[in-house]
Amino acid sequence: MIQVENLTKRYGQHVAVDNISFTVKPGEILGFLGPNGAGKTTTMNILTGYISATEGRALVNGVDILEEPEEVKKMIGYLPEFPPLYGEMTVMEYLDFVSDIKQVSGQQKKQSMEKIMDLVKIGDVRGRLIKNLSKGYKQRVGLAQAMIGNPQVLILDEPTVGLDPKQIIEIRNLISSLGKEHTIILSSHILPEVSTVCERVIIINKGRIVASDTLENLSKGLGEETKLIIRVAGPEKHVIKVISEVHGVKFVESQGSKEKDTVDIVVESSPDIDIRKPLFYALSRASYPILMMRTMGLTLEDIFLQVITEEKEAR
Amino acid sequence: MLAVIKKELRSYFTSMTGYIFVASFLFFTGLFFTLNNLLGASPDFNRVLASILFIFLLAVPILTMRLMAEETKQKTDQLLLTSPITLTSIIVGKYLAAVIVFVGTLAFTIIYPLIMSTMGKLAWSEILGGYIGFFLFGSALIAVGLFISTITENQVVAAVATFTTLLILWLIDAIIQGLPTDKTAGIIFAVLLAAGIAAIIYFATRNIYVAGGILGAGIIAIVAGYIVNPEIYTGFIGKVLEWFSLYSRYEDFELGVLSLSPIVYYITFSSAFVFLSIRMLEKKRWS
Repeated sequence: MIQVENLTKRYGQHVAVDNISFTVKPGEILGFLGPNGAGKTTTMNILTGYISATEGRALVNGVDILEEPEEVKKMIGYLPEFPPLYGEMTVMEYLDFVSDIKQVSGQQKKQSMEKIMDLVKIGDVRGRLIKNLSKGYKQRVGLAQAMIGNPQVLILDEPTVGLDPKQIIEIRNLISSLGKEHTIILSSHILPEVSTVCERVIIINKGRIVASDTLENLSKGLGEETKLIIRVAGPEKHVIKVISEVHGVKFVESQGSKEKDTVDIVVESSPDIDIRKPLFYALSRASYPILMMRTMGLTLEDIFLQVITEEKEAR
Repeated sequence: MLAVIKKELRSYFTSMTGYIFVASFLFFTGLFFTLNNLLGASPDFNRVLASILFIFLLAVPILTMRLMAEETKQKTDQLLLTSPITLTSIIVGKYLAAVIVFVGTLAFTIIYPLIMSTMGKLAWSEILGGYIGFFLFGSALIAVGLFISTITENQVVAAVATFTTLLILWLIDAIIQGLPTDKTAGIIFAVLLAAGIAAIIYFATRNIYVAGGILGAGIIAIVAGYIVNPEIYTGFIGKVLEWFSLYSRYEDFELGVLSLSPIVYYITFSSAFVFLSIRMLEKKRWS
């Protein structure tokens, strides 16, 4: 669906995007992850034809954005970082204008406008001037704008920035449901957003791709050890001693006591051995009951930081 | 393009700019009509049109400062540039919207010759000539304003720069009078001109070879021109600057004469600046 080949963008001496390549399959929701200034927005601006790449090319459905910009733009709906809204228009006037420039006409125009307003829940502010709307509504009008013309590809640059937690969840759900019919690229520096919505993640730092995989594979590849956190009722020293003797345990560390007469302990084991059962029996034999046990999977934050640090070390 | 025109027209009249333009334009035409034709008892309406040309200095910046600058500042240009419409239809749409507001306002002033026609016979063909000239002249200046608005993202800067440019165009004939006319000055000016063009090309393309080539070709042309006929450099500065003398070409229209060359000149001038605006927008995407 989307093919990016050796894309580079230079601003004078500064390299904003450095030779990146990736593909997006139809119907996929791809997360674009990176710290501020990593080159996410620049890449999206190139994909949507807002700016041109210095080198490399981008194809949507096999059509080059440079060679047939109008064709590609028809296939893409773009919500930039700052929604491009005209404050002096009402929501209806605005969507009407967007429909016109996206060449949606006649009966179809009205229908699609109604449908989209319904989807993003802005029907109740349709007659209001955009400049008087709250940030959340503005963001949703921006999203509505991107959806007009029913483009196959949606490119959303930080779509939940500035929204309150309830709105964030609404927008996320909306994006997930849109993913059934659209190919979506979504950028964010907010990690949970990407982990809840996206199937695949590209981590970008200083203009270069540092990782590209599914979330599962990323955490598998990076978190070689399996970590458990357990809470045991018993004296710290003895508990640690018992756990250390269990086969397969590689590392034990106390986290101190968070509940009276208990101790929290982090246990690391080799990935190929499941130590939960042996751990249970060993502590049970020693009469130290386990009050809580959970795995410490790597969060996206961990992955993100790890990938970026690894990259720094590699240089 | 129609969508862009509609949107621009709406934004003229949902903000103050449209009303300020119409009001100030009609105020000055009314004032000069009263002074010249009513109190001065003159049937010559083209004099009124000619004497209010100065109003463009103020009215054109009002009309054009917002056009592109505001889009860039509010980042709404992202919507336009990522939509399946061409840069040409964006710019031409904006230009036509500004021209429509101008022509619409100008249409109101027909009432003045109509008032006069109730008192006697008027030379309508002459008045028509005057109107055509006035329209072409205004449209050319609007194109200049549009171009300046594509350069900056600050409306105030766009307005001041447009005003200054129009003022220079206004004064250009007087400036030409004061410039040296000898051959040496002409040659120096020609070299500077070639260097200037080469510099613009360099900043646009960042290609030193192309820019250098153009400078070289320019200098060869200047030398060749000198060998063939050194007299072409006498008064050369004036000749070049005269290309930009919009006001001197208005004289025919003031007399009600419709002659082809100023018509072609104004249309070419407008087209050139509309074209430059499109290129400017295109260039922004490459920088």
